[in-house]
Amino acid sequence: MVFNSLHFLWFFLVVYALYRLLPAVLPVERAHRAQNWLLLVASYYFYAAWDYRFLALLAGSTIVDYTCGRILGSLQDQRVRRRVMWLSLGFNLSMLGFFKYFNFFADNLAALFAAAGWHADFVTLRVLLPIGISFYTFVTMSYVIDVYRREITPTRNLLDFAVFVAYFPHLVAGPILRATALLPQIQRPRRISREQMREGLWLIAWGFFQKIFVADNLAPLASHVFTPGAQATGVNVLLGVYAFAFQIYGDFAGYSNIARGTSKLMGIELIENFRFPYLVLTPQAFWRHWHISLSTWLRDYLYISLGGNRGGEARTRRNLLITMLLGGLWHGAAWTFVLWGLYQGVLLILYRPYESAFATMQTRGVSWLPPSGGRVLRVAAWFVMFHLTCYGWLIFRAPSLQAIGSLTASLFGHFAPRTIDVTGLLVPLLLYTVPLLVVHLVEAHADDVLVVPRLRIGVRYTIYVATLYLIFLFGNFGGSDFIYFQF
Amino acid sequence: MRVRRALLFLAIVAAQFAIFEAALRTWGHSEAAPAFQGLFVPDATIGYRLQPNARTRYTTAEFETDIAINAQGVRDDRDIGPKPRGEKRIVVLGDSLVLSVQVDLRQTFCRLLEERLNRGAGPIRYRVINAGVQGYGPVEELLFYRTVARRFEPDLVIETIFVGNDAEEAVTSAPRLRADRPAALQALPDSLRIRLRRIVRRSMVLQLIRLRIVSVTDRLGTWMSPPEPPLQSYAEKPAPRIDEGLRISRDCVQAIAADAAADGARTMVMLMPARFQVDDVDYGHLRDAVDAAGGRLLRDAASERFDRALSTLPVPRFDALPALRAALPGPDVFFQQTVHLTPRGHEIVAGALADFIRQQGF
Repeated sequence: MVFNSLHFLWFFLVVYALYRLLPAVLPVERAHRAQNWLLLVASYYFYAAWDYRFLALLAGSTIVDYTCGRILGSLQDQRVRRRVMWLSLGFNLSMLGFFKYFNFFADNLAALFAAAGWHADFVTLRVLLPIGISFYTFVTMSYVIDVYRREITPTRNLLDFAVFVAYFPHLVAGPILRATALLPQIQRPRRISREQMREGLWLIAWGFFQKIFVADNLAPLASHVFTPGAQATGVNVLLGVYAFAFQIYGDFAGYSNIARGTSKLMGIELIENFRFPYLVLTPQAFWRHWHISLSTWLRDYLYISLGGNRGGEARTRRNLLITMLLGGLWHGAAWTFVLWGLYQGVLLILYRPYESAFATMQTRGVSWLPPSGGRVLRVAAWFVMFHLTCYGWLIFRAPSLQAIGSLTASLFGHFAPRTIDVTGLLVPLLLYTVPLLVVHLVEAHADDVLVVPRLRIGVRYTIYVATLYLIFLFGNFGGSDFIYFQF
Repeated sequence: MRVRRALLFLAIVAAQFAIFEAALRTWGHSEAAPAFQGLFVPDATIGYRLQPNARTRYTTAEFETDIAINAQGVRDDRDIGPKPRGEKRIVVLGDSLVLSVQVDLRQTFCRLLEERLNRGAGPIRYRVINAGVQGYGPVEELLFYRTVARRFEPDLVIETIFVGNDAEEAVTSAPRLRADRPAALQALPDSLRIRLRRIVRRSMVLQLIRLRIVSVTDRLGTWMSPPEPPLQSYAEKPAPRIDEGLRISRDCVQAIAADAAADGARTMVMLMPARFQVDDVDYGHLRDAVDAAGGRLLRDAASERFDRALSTLPVPRFDALPALRAALPGPDVFFQQTVHLTPRGHEIVAGALADFIRQQGF
């Protein structure tokens, strides 16, 4: 069941009606408990709508990590605690490895042996990827690690924990929530304010706009360039890459906003997952603004566990590279994702020597330049960073490593600006991105992704109505899936 | 306070409606555009037909064409008067694949066919009349022949069947064939519906919203009942209505042939394939979509079913599929964003059809 389906609409209307009805007919505590049961049943139904067989995985992961959390909470011996934590991580990583990476490693190992002249007949399995597995395994792993690190107290209530893991707005495509952020909201009775209602409805509308108007309309433009065998010139490859940059942003940020919006309507706050990622000036800032829940997860549980920036420059670089490489692999079992992760790691490493100089420029300006010169520098930095990000998307979206080579060759060797496809690529690209960028700039100016519901009434209504008109008049109602489901 | 807010909201809705309407009228080029919809006029018998003397410019990302309808209500830049001596007329009935708004008139297979037949034809002059109308099926084509096209004094009538959807359309339109509909009962709802449709058709914004509502309610229908795999005409196990549609289509072709014979004309059938029958990538996508919906797509099933259904009639059948397939690999024969023929596709169809017509000794 995807958010942009009628199935979800009916599902949510029924669940929400019951959710709001319960506090009206039951005492607070009983209503709260009943709401949690409702959320659990609804979330399991939501997940089963894809494939009911994978409910066992979800339930299994929940029970194992709940149990490990309880055991960790009761143990004092650090060595035993460490073993229990590894038991939980082993379970989650084996599940993830088997369903997501088994065939990838088997195929590549066989190819490696074949290159060395040995014949190795590895078993490849027809394994279906359980939707959302990368997201909920990361959620449960973060819980166990937090309990192990004594950053949280393990919950004793299995229902609360099961809701925390399976809560349907974030279950299949994030944000990847921490127990510290979500569990307390599940454990206590919730009150829904008018502001939450207003913000929630805006986030849902804006999320649908990002998905249906931006992402789904840009998808054919990107496919036009990335389809295997497409012979686009450099200028058209560039437009196709721009289209994909906004497609993937619209798709994923749209999902996150719908998730946050539906959750707000239920009185539960989810963390912000995107914050103007294409307006940033540095690679480091990009990862603080793009898929924030994943990047902070990787930082807190992988990069820091590897030693972070302790232990000298060489170790820091190594840790960055490993973190980003695994971050790339998290997106899928393909060499293009590995290469994308490597590329992001290299960008972060290359940026490190300039980090402090850049921070000074941001805060104090550039001493040898007039104020307007500082602005020019910032625009130049933005331009470079945006294009570095876009090149990353070329690697990410390319159907194969060979395609990365041929697209790069077109981009740098056969740019041919006069061959620009104005009607087929440029005009639609502008049409579908400019409205998004206008709202984006308003939000960035206020440094608030939820500024629209707080604007003056006339401006607010103008944006609301324009958003709805654009969705209804020009939205792509094909009902395609969200890109991040496959991860 | 609430009333003032509601009024402000309504004012913004109205202002933006006007802005979007103006923008769409100026830059929007789609079949929902009033300019394009202005090509059609309601018709009591057929439902609608082309508006005589209508003209428009039709632009999309893939093509830009001028469309002119002549005084007789078919796409042509010449009027059709009484048949001169030495002229042989071919009337091509069909839907959008015949009308071909995606290409210039001179690039349509009808006009190319005329040129090819006239090459070395001696004193005989051939005139090929494009009698295609967007959205027609076999039922409308029969009615169009009876009410409009038979006046063109044809010597040959080519009934073009689009195998992709004509069986389904025949079922939907079959009630139009029933002459015993109580006229008084039909008149009121028809006129109300037509008035409403006119209002909606005058606004591009309302047209687009109508299309959204239709697509959403269609999906609502499929969600509430078990979804039926798409492309039933090609399904391994098609719904019973496909057989009914094939039977109705055959009856329509038979009726056209009988009427044409009464007018002294011969009749033949042209089977036009869907794009995915030619385009492998398109076929891959659709096969996966049908698989996902629990069905099985047989690529040429619709062509074969129509061929079988029409085989009992004494009417020659020409299938455009082999010629279009033989043209690959090469430039596209179908547009990517519509399911219609490109200029190259029209050339291929015209060439193969001219050969077929000659073989039939016409």
